[in-house]
Amino acid sequence: MTHRSDRTLRVKALARVEGEGGMLVRTRAGRVEEVRLDIYEPPRFFEAFLQGRRHTEPPDITARICGICPIAYQMSSCNAIEAACGVEVPQVVRNLRRLIYCGEWIESHALHIYLLHAPDFLGYDGAVEMAADHREVVQRGLRLKKTGNDIMEVIGGRAIHPINVRVGGFYRAPSRRELTNLVPRVEQARDAALDTLSWVAGFDYPDFEQDYEFVALRHPADYPITEGRIVSSGGLDIPVPEFEDHVVEEHVPHSTALHARLDGRRYMTGPMARYNLNADRLPASVRAAAADAGLGPRESNPFRSILVRALETLYACEESLRLLDAYEPPDPPAVDVPAVPGTGHGATEAPRGVLYHRYDLGEDGIIRTAKIVPPTSQNQAQIEDDLRRFVEPRLDLETDELTHRCEQAIRNYDPCISCSTHFLDLRVEEA
Amino acid sequence: MIVVIGVGNDFRRDDAAGLEVARRVRAAAPAGVQVLEHDGEPAGLLDVWDGADIAYVVDAVRGTDGPGSVHRVEVGSDFRLHWEPRDSTHALSFGEAVALGRVLGRLPSRLVLVGVEGGDFATGQGLGPEVAAAVGAVADEIVREVGG
Repeated sequence: MTHRSDRTLRVKALARVEGEGGMLVRTRAGRVEEVRLDIYEPPRFFEAFLQGRRHTEPPDITARICGICPIAYQMSSCNAIEAACGVEVPQVVRNLRRLIYCGEWIESHALHIYLLHAPDFLGYDGAVEMAADHREVVQRGLRLKKTGNDIMEVIGGRAIHPINVRVGGFYRAPSRRELTNLVPRVEQARDAALDTLSWVAGFDYPDFEQDYEFVALRHPADYPITEGRIVSSGGLDIPVPEFEDHVVEEHVPHSTALHARLDGRRYMTGPMARYNLNADRLPASVRAAAADAGLGPRESNPFRSILVRALETLYACEESLRLLDAYEPPDPPAVDVPAVPGTGHGATEAPRGVLYHRYDLGEDGIIRTAKIVPPTSQNQAQIEDDLRRFVEPRLDLETDELTHRCEQAIRNYDPCISCSTHFLDLRVEEA
Repeated sequence: MIVVIGVGNDFRRDDAAGLEVARRVRAAAPAGVQVLEHDGEPAGLLDVWDGADIAYVVDAVRGTDGPGSVHRVEVGSDFRLHWEPRDSTHALSFGEAVALGRVLGRLPSRLVLVGVEGGDFATGQGLGPEVAAAVGAVADEIVREVGG
């Protein structure tokens, strides 16, 4: 076997974003000397863009930051603006918000499990190659994903960048019949989610248990999605407005990205964090499914995040069915939110972790400053640390194989690269 | 069934070109032509073009011919858009969506990609003048082709 103790691993393919970024791991004499990960374009341009806008505009504008999780951006911004204005929306509106957010979890998790992460575990270059051998499995994943999109479309008006969400609630409340029509599809999705969980439970997981500090929302009764306090496995327990007292985003020399630290420490947010801090909030049926899939009460191997995503997909289906069954159209569909000068904070659980927004409103209700801390900037330092620890004991692997495994380790976090632009780089090749 | 899908983001300047084409086609196309604005990840395209006889996908592209240049590609079996198999941690590329559709038998009978070269993809609203002019021409051409 060739032993190369001085090596540089590069994943330029991750650097899809306007030519910048990617992953670089440099080793010397069998030690990891340097890890750089620069895959994320922070929404700081959007923060500037929000300045001078009316207090009702953030849900529409911030929805465009991410094509995968517009609802998360809409909901964190609504929470923050409503908090600034001292308005509490009624429970029926909060339930409908939770339902559309469940749609986003299903859609985002199914996409990641089936089309992005599973190919890593099964030894395929990507979803296309996997689909050639596992056609029915991929079709099942796409159906599951589409059900999430359907929920978002029926409530949001459009599956992607929904237009029905507004500060205070919704422009229009869907009828009971519109939502009841979704029930058979969501029941099928729940079955597909159970099959998904069994499927991923059979994957081989590298041995990589780590000692993480997990950060997630925590709600008195529910598994956290749209509201809660911010807690950590290190003992943090704060209301959302204190987030910036503890979490500070730092520039790092090698990157345009920001790295967030919790009282100076790196941490993990996302499905693993939610599960570890909130498994007791899952209904008994979902906890039983977790046990059947081999999920313990505490999980600290990030490669097993795909299992937690599958479990959360199941939960989101069950929660959707519960909310659909209990649905009463909010009347009126939204409450008035008159602008009040001051500051408001909001945090929700995006599919990939805590998404925090803050808005400072002036006397005229115009946004003076906006702050958005997305999950990927919070996870960035932890991903780099994972890579450092993952690579060193595996330096005997061939470079291609090791590079592949590093990509898989990055995908554990489902990181959000800059996805607010979708233009294509045009190079057509004739076959 | 004919479907026209405009892809893009209204808040990233020239990236809105595809959406603007879709809006113009919607205003002028005959009833029965489905016109969609799509600004999310490409795997969702498999659902929106499912079963179509002809699907147009109109998107802003980055290229070398200058802003406002229009590239039209018939996405047949002998063409493929260049794509990196793993070029994102987060979503499929358009090329992957086409390849996946091909593997799963979920491509429209005819798929036409119309790319409008953009120059400015920074945060903000409004198309550059060359792109705005190209958008009008692309929309007119599609409307003509779909019988408007």
